[in-house]
Amino acid sequence: MSNLSRSQANVVRLVWMLVTVVLAVMAIFPLLYMLSIAFKGPTEVFKSNLIPTKPVLDNFVYVLTEVPFWRYLINTFVISAVVTVVALFFHTMAGYALARLKFPGREVVFLAMFSTFLVSLPVIIVPLFILVRSMGMLNSYAGLIIPAIFNAFGIFLLRQYYLSLPKELEEAAVIDGAGYWRIYTSVILPLSRPIIAALAILFFLANWNSFLWPLTVASDPNLWVVQVAIANFKSQYAASWNYTMAASTIVAVPMLVLFVIFQRQIMDSIKTSGLKG
Amino acid sequence: MTEITTTAAGGRPAAIRLTTKQREAIAGVLFVAPDAIGLMLFIGLPMLLALGISVFEVDGFGGFKFVGLANYSKMWVDPLFWSSLRVTAQFTVMLVPLLYVTGLGLALLVQRTSKFNTIMRSMFFAPQMVSLVVVALVWQLMVVDKLGVLTRFAASIGLGGISFLGDPNLALFTVTLAAVWFLMGFYMLIFLGGLQDIPKEYYEAARIDGASATQSFWFITLPLLRPTSFFVLLVSAVAAITGAQAFDLIYVMTRGGPANSTALLISYIYQQAFQYSAFGYAAALATLLVVLLMAVTVFFFLLTRGGRFDYE
Amino acid sequence: MTTTSNMPSGWSRRSILKGGAALGAAGLTMPFMGQAFAQDNTLSFWQFYAPGGDVKPQVDWFVKMVADWNATQSEQVALEYVVGSEYIGGTKLATSFASGQGPDIFIISPGDFLRYYNGGVLQDLTPAIEEAARADFPESVIANRMVDGKIYGVPMEVEPMAFYYSVKAFEEAGLNENDVPQSWDQLLEIGKKLTTAERYGVLFETNPGYYQNFTWYPFMWQGGGEFQSAEGKSAFDSPATVQALKLWQDAVNSGAAPRQMLGGGGGDIVANLGSGYCAMQNVGIWGISAMDNNAPDVPYGIFKLPVPTGGKYVTVGGGWAFVANSKGKNPEAAAKFIAWALASMAPDSVQRVVDWCTVAKSDMPPRNSALTAGGDAFNKGNMGIFGTQIHPGTRAEPRVPPEVYKIISDAIQQTQLGGADPQATATAASQQLDAFLASYSGAPIL
Repeated sequence: MSNLSRSQANVVRLVWMLVTVVLAVMAIFPLLYMLSIAFKGPTEVFKSNLIPTKPVLDNFVYVLTEVPFWRYLINTFVISAVVTVVALFFHTMAGYALARLKFPGREVVFLAMFSTFLVSLPVIIVPLFILVRSMGMLNSYAGLIIPAIFNAFGIFLLRQYYLSLPKELEEAAVIDGAGYWRIYTSVILPLSRPIIAALAILFFLANWNSFLWPLTVASDPNLWVVQVAIANFKSQYAASWNYTMAASTIVAVPMLVLFVIFQRQIMDSIKTSGLKG
Repeated sequence: MTEITTTAAGGRPAAIRLTTKQREAIAGVLFVAPDAIGLMLFIGLPMLLALGISVFEVDGFGGFKFVGLANYSKMWVDPLFWSSLRVTAQFTVMLVPLLYVTGLGLALLVQRTSKFNTIMRSMFFAPQMVSLVVVALVWQLMVVDKLGVLTRFAASIGLGGISFLGDPNLALFTVTLAAVWFLMGFYMLIFLGGLQDIPKEYYEAARIDGASATQSFWFITLPLLRPTSFFVLLVSAVAAITGAQAFDLIYVMTRGGPANSTALLISYIYQQAFQYSAFGYAAALATLLVVLLMAVTVFFFLLTRGGRFDYE
Repeated sequence: MTTTSNMPSGWSRRSILKGGAALGAAGLTMPFMGQAFAQDNTLSFWQFYAPGGDVKPQVDWFVKMVADWNATQSEQVALEYVVGSEYIGGTKLATSFASGQGPDIFIISPGDFLRYYNGGVLQDLTPAIEEAARADFPESVIANRMVDGKIYGVPMEVEPMAFYYSVKAFEEAGLNENDVPQSWDQLLEIGKKLTTAERYGVLFETNPGYYQNFTWYPFMWQGGGEFQSAEGKSAFDSPATVQALKLWQDAVNSGAAPRQMLGGGGGDIVANLGSGYCAMQNVGIWGISAMDNNAPDVPYGIFKLPVPTGGKYVTVGGGWAFVANSKGKNPEAAAKFIAWALASMAPDSVQRVVDWCTVAKSDMPPRNSALTAGGDAFNKGNMGIFGTQIHPGTRAEPRVPPEVYKIISDAIQQTQLGGADPQATATAASQQLDAFLASYSGAPIL
């Protein structure tokens, strides 16, 4: 009886895994296309064969040698890293206060902050551009970085997370006579390490792939980010899609590596709210 | 900033003695200040300015005329506005449930921690790694008339001669599928976090009581996932209505066509502002969009007491 | 679109936004970040041929032109690159103008002309252009850049539309170059013949946009159709318009034409004809250099647009023009630069136009002297087919306000892909056009 159920369980598990593999292959199938095109010559790009007939490395060579692509990668890395670190610092502070500290107007402040989540960039881009210009931040790293820091999504997610943390942890610290800054640095931050790891990936990724704002605020090619450089492979009627795909592959690889490395931490972490214990 | 915070929140003897409540309030305000100021300055203020423009006729070159509510009454008789509103509604109604189901489904599929699942999770999340322009081009290739992989697959199951992106009745569905494919890994991550919060003892107790897997799902998993579900539904609904990411995807795949069948409200706003330089009318449309979203948000928050559920 | 540059107005959107911005900026001064905004008088020149882009000689041409100017003149010009797709369909140009900080010199297509002219930002270039040079531009090329006899833009190229066909596809169907369609009926018939399980016979643009309208106009004109009558009323509800709408619809309904394009769309010949997706493609003259550069091993031929029964051959010619921002730093100097670059009788100015149309791109020159100076480049081979057969029937791309563009675009989309009845669609579009034209007060629509 128990033998039978064990083999049944194994069959179920096998089917489960098979379904998972099929779905996962479907999920990455379009990416295989991207990879395939990156190795194709210009005339083969739009043929639907997945395996290039004559794979070439020319596209990668072009992207890495004919265009200052390293510079764009470094720009993008610096911008993404700074935005991520500063944003996480501010957002954890705000999330903590909104979830755990009582102050007059807290819910109003939260709703006001949340309401900024309701506008998308194209809607506010003209006034934002004027604002950033009047601060003298056009064509500068500051202009690329500072407006990208503020984002209600992260604050909202962190607030939901802190709402679920057991109160006792803080109370112990309060009894020890710790101030709020100490509670934040020695209790809250360590506790939220997993969710910070997760948000770090999401923020970094969002900035790594951002396009519209960097395009708008920086005209100087020395300040271009990778997505702007990639868009430049496109002209009025045609595009060098083989270069686009090679460049996109180069851009995606570090992200994939980063994700694989950090994923355990992320998996143990993302909590939108959750339960005590 | 930090200096002040330390002094005020650190509880050192100050000149004026503050009650615990006051100290907490001051700390709260200071903690929230950097983000609150930044959001106000870089999103709130531009938002108010953008919306304020809605009572002007603006030509995009400095010409500027007060027209009262004319931009709003123009909306009423603008068939393209109504059609974009309808498309947005259809898109939202398809996208939100699909994302919920695929996100949760994938999370359940790879929930257990194992080497195998680690690889699978990375694969499901992988679409997030590339930009939407690349996503759009690859999808275009997969669904192109006659030759696309999906078109051929459809033909092999008896759906020959269909055009995924060229048929006005099908195009919105196709771009929704592409959006789901792109976004599902993100929501899978969020659901995985939620699932891990559910104490394992509950499932064990249920198993001892003889509950089936299906019953455990309906009576334990789903109810205890409420906070996560709240977050996912709200964020995906907002994303669908503002067209946050889908906008780029759709623009590259169809440019709003064929015959306006994939022109979302945000695409229409974009077109009015940047292609027609009709910034005033675009602002009026944007105001309406924000009001719609506020209504959705208020609905969600009222339903859930501010997303706080059982706490406090 | 009712406001013009000289409209009296106490308010300026700019000042309001500035006020708001200053309010915000007052709270936070950040002297340590960013470079101060460029205070010097260098004129900025925006265009979309950026280094690392699709074709190197095009970038080189711009770089050399600006270097030559800067070497001899005190007013300096600096190139600023806006990536292609974003320049044309994106936010960057509109954002910079809306914030009162448009470029001093930029390039526009006829589809954008009225938007900028009616916005009051185009500088009158006439004083900077000598009389002989003005006469060097044929009327058909310069007319849609002029208002009241004044020149507001200098075209850099003329890009007429034609058909390209795949020699291989023709051979497979047992056809040769003598079988190229000359009438619409033949076009549909041969299109069907060339259609296989893996290939479409004929391809018209399907993506909505200015470009689709542009490629459709000649089919409307060929039967004598116009969207506007001489009296300024809508002329859209005409048999010629209806049959043009129906041609594109029939091509799709018969299965000979696709509903979706590959790559960059109907103007992208390598992605569609080059890849074998279609056998005949409606593309402009730029197809020559695109095929030669990116699909050199795909043999192709060119033929001029077929005509309907009782119709007359005509094609449409597009192309971009240099314009100066009248609200820029130094509009007179900008106008001088444009005249020097493209519209002077000096040999280097003429040669610059020849180089752009032969070395950098494959285009027809907008100037008679350049056509002569280019000589064989415009008479031999594939360029010769354009020069001798296709170009002589070229009519300039209409300049229409965005509202008119949208009405026509919707009519094309609804019939071509939405399956709507061409006659009913034309009638409805005509009513919308009339409603718009009655309230329109900008420069004449051409």
